[in-house]
Amino acid sequence: MDYLSSNKILIVDLNTGETSEDALDDDLVSQKIGGVGITSSLYETYKDRDPVILGTGLLTGTLFPASALSVISAKSPRTGYLTHSPFTLKAGMELKYTGFDYVVILGRSENPVFLWLHDGVADILDAAELWGKDVWNTTDLLRKSMGDDLIQTLVIGPAGEEGSDLAQVCVNYWANGDCWGFGKVLGEKNLKAVALRGMGLLEISDAEDFVDQCFEIFEAIKGSALEGKRGVEDILIALGESDAREWLAPVVHRHSACYNTPYPTNTFIYLNEDPTTLTEPAEPEPGFMITDIGALLALKKSGLSAADAGHVLRACARRGVDPAAVAEIIGKTGQKDPKAIEQSLEGLQGTVAVPQGAKFSSWVPQNPIFGDFGLSGESSLRDWWVRRQAVAYLFGIHPIFANMSPELSEEVILEMVNKGTGLDLSQETLDQVIEDICS
Amino acid sequence: MRIDVDALKCIGCMACEMACGYHRDDAFALLASCIVVYRAREKKDYFGVVVKEEESLTIARPEGVEIKRIGVAEEAGDSGQKKEADASAKPMLLREPCDLCSDMKYGPMCVKICPVNAISLQDEGE
Repeated sequence: MDYLSSNKILIVDLNTGETSEDALDDDLVSQKIGGVGITSSLYETYKDRDPVILGTGLLTGTLFPASALSVISAKSPRTGYLTHSPFTLKAGMELKYTGFDYVVILGRSENPVFLWLHDGVADILDAAELWGKDVWNTTDLLRKSMGDDLIQTLVIGPAGEEGSDLAQVCVNYWANGDCWGFGKVLGEKNLKAVALRGMGLLEISDAEDFVDQCFEIFEAIKGSALEGKRGVEDILIALGESDAREWLAPVVHRHSACYNTPYPTNTFIYLNEDPTTLTEPAEPEPGFMITDIGALLALKKSGLSAADAGHVLRACARRGVDPAAVAEIIGKTGQKDPKAIEQSLEGLQGTVAVPQGAKFSSWVPQNPIFGDFGLSGESSLRDWWVRRQAVAYLFGIHPIFANMSPELSEEVILEMVNKGTGLDLSQETLDQVIEDICS
Repeated sequence: MRIDVDALKCIGCMACEMACGYHRDDAFALLASCIVVYRAREKKDYFGVVVKEEESLTIARPEGVEIKRIGVAEEAGDSGQKKEADASAKPMLLREPCDLCSDMKYGPMCVKICPVNAISLQDEGE
């Protein structure tokens, strides 16, 4: 692949400690498109070796709006079959610029290691000093040891090391889309983290046209239903929590967006600092960035204050445990004391409902948000959501924003990918790939 | 004219940075951008935007905009302690200064692409 691609598939063998590279073949892209289309294909190729596959979409890391997503594909300990987890913030984009479009991680390391992907180079490095550390300390140590605060990390905490089905792969310090127990999968591989940093460059086939149209889409989005809305509070309101703004107001600091995403889906709350503070706070860890809307909503419904919910979410992230699963399990107990909830995280067990045959993360709300997608009828909602997520995971589009913006239609996305790559992907190909990955 | 940034409006999405990178390299890349989202204080949620200009750096922090002349040694902060620099910020002075995308039909691309209108063009004197 010459365009919108690094043209590399990295194969990492943790058993031998060796890596190798394959080229990303145009034919594979023409047949499977990218993202979960190709991670699913690679999974089939290597499934006898317990693969964990990281993958980017063709649009990931470009100027196409909301091109923030990369994915982790693996067999989920919660479902027993192949599932996909999105990761966003700046990490999805960063993977693309490391010089690898896909990373296939095979086998199990004898000793704890981390994978360091940077500038087309892959190193498997000793993680003895990281093992046992929580998610926050691990990211801090990785950034400090390599002298770069912008390194993005996919990290497991103690929950993953201990083999909990609730363990989550976190991004830097924060929760993200892993609701499948992939933290446990990495723990079983003795893989503490994947650190990402890249200075790569993506060529564009029809650059001027591609960028022209990106600007046009941005303009359309600016004037859309999401104009003037911000953060998780407006998403919660759109989902029916009309008092969300008042509930969160005492702790909200600022809202921020994932890479090139026109809506800030993340809200930072200050828990031990005045949230109106504008200068750099003296407190090194003043709060928490809320990235999991479902978990926040469940804690709110459990009767916690926003501050108490923030403390619980922060404890989940440090331990590397899926906060939505925690909220669901804790919700059944009626426990409202955040300290008691935090103490219960160690060794927490429980089952969490997964929709039959689900492949995509429930981290993304199940409804359209702000945007009018012309839906009618309850029965079509689930089908709409699955297809919308499939498209986002195939092309590298922020999966929450995909549910906000009808401007990012399949027709527009295909047109842009063809402009950017010089390929001729058709709606029929897209339909077939979606059918394949959803079956 | 110069680029002005309202860091309080900024959502840190980096669209400006990538648009600038495209202007520099005719491809998608971040290495040469003269506008950069300052995001090295992630755990503190302290972020803003830095713009490299011909003779100065515009540093748009949440608490306000500071313009530093390039080549003038950084003065000690209020506490008297010199602030620790981020390793990731060092290449900024090596980048090409902002040319307001003079050869682009769009005008300054960062202004055009910012989804929250945090970036604008200002007269030098404003």
